Amino acid sequence: MSDELKLAVERRGDGAVLYTKGYINNVGGEEIANRSYELLDAGVTTLLLNLKETKIVNSIGISILIEIIEKMMEKGGRLGFCCLTPVIQKTFQIMGLAQYASIYADEESAIKDLGLQKS
Amino acid sequence: MTPQADRQMELTLPMVPDIEIAAARAAGNLGREMGMSVEDVDEMAHAVVEACINAREHSCCVDQRIYLRFRGTSPDVQTLKVEVWITDNGQGFNLDEARLRRRGSSNNGPKKRGWGLQIMEAHMDEVEISTGDKGTTVRMVKYGEKKL
Repeated sequence: MSDELKLAVERRGDGAVLYTKGYINNVGGEEIANRSYELLDAGVTTLLLNLKETKIVNSIGISILIEIIEKMMEKGGRLGFCCLTPVIQKTFQIMGLAQYASIYADEESAIKDLGLQKS
Repeated sequence: MTPQADRQMELTLPMVPDIEIAAARAAGNLGREMGMSVEDVDEMAHAVVEACINAREHSCCVDQRIYLRFRGTSPDVQTLKVEVWITDNGQGFNLDEARLRRRGSSNNGPKKRGWGLQIMEAHMDEVEISTGDKGTTVRMVKYGEKKL
């Protein structure tokens, strides 16, 4: 269907911002995971996922995001989310994701708190 | 004031990847047409997505179809009500076991799978499940406030 996830990456020093657009399901979640792991292997320690253009998620996609958080934590990194719709934020709370990652209202406050400087 | 006429819709969808989006769009269109808030519509869409995924992933049905029925009503001058029935002709499941499983969590971090029912219940006002060896029906209700 036409809601296939699109990803864009912006490197910021030793961190990166991933911009998602579309449905985060199993396929979209795997795509985010693969890109995140590539960035981890390239030395990125802080990731921010900007979900401004994502209006729908499912529990399988979120379970993959939890795996990314675990991997980041294992490697001493940090993962944050910003620009969530209220319903996506509520779904994150239900699944416990909010206990393991920071959630920010907007990109500006996320970048400031996570220390993601422009390269 | 004359009560708003019922709006009903039925859909039969094949169990193919991402078909839950079609179901969510149908629910969303009805909710919007009824005048529900963006957040209520969005919650209903997420609940419908989870119900369809459960049907697709766990029903093991031969016909590989999901049967949906939507009904929008206005029970009084202030209230909107959207009911959704999501049915499969699969083998059913043990609801008590499913409810017990969802309480379990890993000691090594957050539980990753099996959140569908909890998400449906959190996003909808009522969730009822009837299940047996001839299939499963999930009936969900979302209430909204009518704009006066």
